[in-house]
Amino acid sequence: MKIESTGWLMDIYTRPGGELICWLLGEDGRRWLLRMDFPVTFYAAGRAADLRQAWRFLSGQARCSRATRRDLMEGERTVLAVTVDLPGRLHSIYQRLAQAFPQLDYYDADLPLSVRFAAQSGVSLLVRCRFETDGQQLLGLQPLESAWEMQAALPPLRVMEIDCGDDPFLHPPREIAVCCGRRRYHFALQPLRAFLVNLQALLNIYDPDVILTRFGDTWLFPFLNERAPLFNPNRDEQMKVEFRRERSLFAYGQVLYRGAQALLFGRWHIDRCNALLFGEIGLAGALELARVSGLGVQEAVRKSPGAGITALQMQTALREGVLVPAVKQQAETTRTLTSLIRYDKGGMVYQPLVGVHHDVAELDFASMYPAIMVRYNISPETLNQSDAPPGLIPRTLQPLLVKRLALKQCLRALDRRDSRVGDLKGRQTALKWLLVVCFGYLGYKNARFGRVESHEAVTAISRELLLQAKESAEEMGFTVLHMYVDSLFVKREGARREEDFLSLVEEIQAKTGIGVTLEGVYRWLVFLPARRDQRIPVANRYFGVFQDGSLKYRGIALRRHDTCLYVAETQLEILHCLARADDPCEQRETAWALAGRRIQRLQRGEVPADALQMAVKLSRDPQAFRRPSAAAQAARQFQAQGVTVRPGMRLFFWFTRQGVSIAPPPPEEMDWDRYARLVLRAAGELLDILRPAQKNRQFYLPLLR
Amino acid sequence: MGRTVPTITRQLNETETMLQSFRRTLRRTDQTLLDGLLASAHRHLAAVSASGALLPFEAALLAMLLEQARQVEQLSRQVTMLEEELARLRGHED
Repeated sequence: MKIESTGWLMDIYTRPGGELICWLLGEDGRRWLLRMDFPVTFYAAGRAADLRQAWRFLSGQARCSRATRRDLMEGERTVLAVTVDLPGRLHSIYQRLAQAFPQLDYYDADLPLSVRFAAQSGVSLLVRCRFETDGQQLLGLQPLESAWEMQAALPPLRVMEIDCGDDPFLHPPREIAVCCGRRRYHFALQPLRAFLVNLQALLNIYDPDVILTRFGDTWLFPFLNERAPLFNPNRDEQMKVEFRRERSLFAYGQVLYRGAQALLFGRWHIDRCNALLFGEIGLAGALELARVSGLGVQEAVRKSPGAGITALQMQTALREGVLVPAVKQQAETTRTLTSLIRYDKGGMVYQPLVGVHHDVAELDFASMYPAIMVRYNISPETLNQSDAPPGLIPRTLQPLLVKRLALKQCLRALDRRDSRVGDLKGRQTALKWLLVVCFGYLGYKNARFGRVESHEAVTAISRELLLQAKESAEEMGFTVLHMYVDSLFVKREGARREEDFLSLVEEIQAKTGIGVTLEGVYRWLVFLPARRDQRIPVANRYFGVFQDGSLKYRGIALRRHDTCLYVAETQLEILHCLARADDPCEQRETAWALAGRRIQRLQRGEVPADALQMAVKLSRDPQAFRRPSAAAQAARQFQAQGVTVRPGMRLFFWFTRQGVSIAPPPPEEMDWDRYARLVLRAAGELLDILRPAQKNRQFYLPLLR
Repeated sequence: MGRTVPTITRQLNETETMLQSFRRTLRRTDQTLLDGLLASAHRHLAAVSASGALLPFEAALLAMLLEQARQVEQLSRQVTMLEEELARLRGHED
């Protein structure tokens, strides 16, 4: 009997047999796990003789045919189309073929299944759809909305939270807290059988769609798998938990650590401690990320936004019949040294005028790099072509830019206390991250649709636009205090209110063609110098207070992840103290007195250990440290406790008289003097610059204009 | 940040490191002056970078000159102001 219903496509995956399973959530609340016939095709291109051999090689394994497809850079190509009826078998067939014929170029061979499905069926994950089923098989599926819908209907998810304590590796938990809706249960971990019976019963009764944990990836599910291999938290009982190994990698100029992963089938598992963006974007942002990128929710929250933007580019390519290369094929072209020196640069950074400034406006270009890519049609295939039709990258980014702008406008119109603000912020931030990384991926050596010359074109245009903005500001009598890639700080005698700066905003917008927003007008703003030499200005290191009293600060201890809570709180209190005055210099003595009281509290041993916990990100293997730095000592102590320590991990510790301790030390062992020095340094970072005017004047003489 | 070419900040820092033995041989008072000159080049990093010069230190020297010119101008203005003030006071005495 055929059933027709509406709902959401929540996830898709393949079973070990290779068949495709779709998990749907009906609007009536019913959960469906349905099989679907979904043949998938990949392509091989190369010499005709090789293709003929490959065709023979595949006989009996897949259906082959000859086809013509478009390669983004090379144009139309004759290809061998290899169609596999069971999508789960594609990977092994491709691997065998690539091993036997490494000389061929392969396309569409390693796409995420959900991305391929979204492009082929027109139904993206998490968008409302109509489906038809006989109870076992998914017979038809039509989208009822697009992934770019502003006010998309959200699926009614059931969320279960499992809390394993602060750090189960250091302090093995005795009990586990499970939260289902408003109900909270505490289960003793021992005896394990009773715990498993309780947890399974809750899973059966509550039947959650999302299991939110802390340390679920790295501790809870590996622990359960080891001690109770028959326990199955999946909704799809034919599937086992998929474990992926931990790894350390070097990206964005730093060592990153990705913990092991435990992925579920028929429901999602999100480990707050292992999901890169989840803390910032929340569940609403995660759903948005999955909806627009086409990646499954479990993948989208664990991977970097780069994977999301790549998936989005793949979708655009597949929908437009463009082949997605399995391995990037374009190498950088040869060039002259002069050209390299001239164009191999980043954004414009205009060093600030160090010191205190009043009535300063901050102007930001809205999503500058993506907007440049769209407006100037920058894409690998459109380079050096003035009249080319919109390229793949601009076509991918356009709807993303439009949606983010609409979400931002929506947010601006709402009251801060509105209950929708949190979700909208999460969604907006999720899209922001996709836009942020899309530029980097243009120059990333392994990006499928990247080309370093396009990457350089974007930065070259951005520098030109910022210079145009500077010229406009100076023509209108403004002094440019600082420029940083996509923002500029300006002031003019007599300009105090936002209206005084709007004509400049309009002028820059008209001149550059890119949207500019007025971030706000600072009552006062302080640009800080370098620590090593007070005469050297440093970009993007400042603090200030807007006219509405809100603070903004960059590049100070408060923003650093390795600053302990007590030091960060001290800086924040100092900033609030300075914000009370129209001139921060007036509050200097009061702020120093405040810092003094905070140091006295330390010296009296009144500060709780939690507020003094330090954090450090391990930059290398513990054995590779030459000096016994705090990070090296902490790493070795963790290892001594049997905890595996990998580069990129964040370690927590306390300073003690003997060195460091990974457990909170008793007050008599705490190195109070060291913490006092940290507080003093943090206070000095903000207050040293606020010396009496005469001293500043002599010191910064060359800066006064 | 460039991908192959080091950033202008890094290039200037490297040049400063290369100049360490030069700096060490100077008198203490001259060392302070040299540090001031090098610091003044840092105020124009964007311009030094934009010059696209094969040897960016040439553009950095120009940046130092620029700061010197500014100081000269400011001092001249102050001298003029003080001279006017002095003339005014002498006028009062007469």
